[in-house]
Amino acid sequence: MTSSIELTDVTLDYNLYSVRAQSLRNTVLNMAVGGRLIQAGKDVTYVRALSNVSLKLNEGDRLAVIGHNGSGKTSLLKILAGIYSPTLGKVDVRGRISSMISISVGLDIEASGLENIRNLAMMQMMSDREIKRRMPAIVEFSGLGAFVHMPLKTYSAGMVARLTFSVATQVDADILIMDEWISAGDADFQKRAADRLNNMVDSAKIVVLATHDYQLAAKVCNKVMTMESGVPTFLGTTEEWLERSSAA
Amino acid sequence: MSLVGSFKAAALDLYRGVLLTPLWWRVSVEQTVTRYRRSLLGPVWMASTTLATAFSLAIVFGSIFGGDAKDNLSFIMIGVVGWSITGGILPEIANTFVNAAGVMQVRSLPLSFHAFQQMSKIFINFMHQVVGLWLVLMLMKLAVVPHWTLLVNLPIALLTGLFVSIPLGMVSVRFRDINYMVGFIAQSLFMLTPVFWRRSQVPETMRWIVDLNPFSHLLEIVRQPLMGAAAPIHDVNASLAFLGVAALLTLISLTLVRTRVVFWL
Repeated sequence: MTSSIELTDVTLDYNLYSVRAQSLRNTVLNMAVGGRLIQAGKDVTYVRALSNVSLKLNEGDRLAVIGHNGSGKTSLLKILAGIYSPTLGKVDVRGRISSMISISVGLDIEASGLENIRNLAMMQMMSDREIKRRMPAIVEFSGLGAFVHMPLKTYSAGMVARLTFSVATQVDADILIMDEWISAGDADFQKRAADRLNNMVDSAKIVVLATHDYQLAAKVCNKVMTMESGVPTFLGTTEEWLERSSAA
Repeated sequence: MSLVGSFKAAALDLYRGVLLTPLWWRVSVEQTVTRYRRSLLGPVWMASTTLATAFSLAIVFGSIFGGDAKDNLSFIMIGVVGWSITGGILPEIANTFVNAAGVMQVRSLPLSFHAFQQMSKIFINFMHQVVGLWLVLMLMKLAVVPHWTLLVNLPIALLTGLFVSIPLGMVSVRFRDINYMVGFIAQSLFMLTPVFWRRSQVPETMRWIVDLNPFSHLLEIVRQPLMGAAAPIHDVNASLAFLGVAALLTLISLTLVRTRVVFWL
């Protein structure tokens, strides 16, 4: 089966039933920073996180989604990963997805790096035997060395990013969805990560990467989508995007 | 989506939850093993809380009620342990989606997955309690071989918990006050259900409290086999009716709000 992603006029509204309630989580609050706040009646406020997004990606495409905080990047990724259903519009995603949207969810800070790799891989539906088989490669790529035996609470943010990224890219997935946390790693790791993502085209995969690191986007991706307040402002190849931004 | 489409999606959600059995079982086992690793006796501590309550209640109420002390002791102890897999799980299952919030916001899993995972963790914990209970009863030479109907009745209780956890977990994330309410309702139910007293001990005019309480029947179908007898057929029937209502509520709630729960977290 060939993998592909097609979004048709996707609109996403968050309903906030009571704005003062503590139940609102950071993601929603962040949306309110750059998203459009719409008042509807007294109790229900809704934030339009995405409006009329259309997009088509085929095998081999690596899309960078670029935008400010709260521009709708993460919302778009969550729609692609099947976490959110759109309020309006159609989502058609074909292929097995590996999504790494949060750097820390599913991690246990008391457990060692190895145990965490096992837990993350387990959540990605890897069997015990497969985990065992891939473990050396994951550990090797993470570059964490002897630290994999240490509890995660001794890790820096960049080390956690290395660990999560290593697992995410070892999964047999057709579509890889990653949020901007990749930039948490150091220069060496970012280079390795970029190489890795570049190599993934060979295995005919689709990569969607949210970032505000323009260089990373230019290095890794062949398509770029920029977003502002939930509205796509540009969608095209990386060359077109580079031309446009150098002209501006 | 049309109502029919939503209903199909709801049924599919449950089906996908079943297909993910290896995953939620592994996650629950892993979490239990982790608890063992970090403390001397791990989940044994959790089992001992229930057992200590059971033992204290058994001594106090056993002697207040009079009659055969040994008989009272095992009735009350098994009752409290049985409660921990029936009415006692209410506060925990109300938090099904609250506890899973982190994972739900970054991974696309069927909603029923989180309910299955919660119930399997509760089941593992319960098995610890049963083993502890058995050790205590054996020490006091009160242990009996469980009746085979436990193998049917325990799954009924677990399934009921599963089907209650989905609609209850949904209203708890939508209205955060529900959590507190469930806490005091569970506490009241513990007193109002014949856990450490018998239906025959209350006046005839008050017995409707027992008969109308679905948890008293559910408790009985777990307790009686643990005490070595088959549960009365009317308790089994009432429990099956309760299971049916809970399953219906699960299907309705999944049909109506399945895709919205993640926004309420």
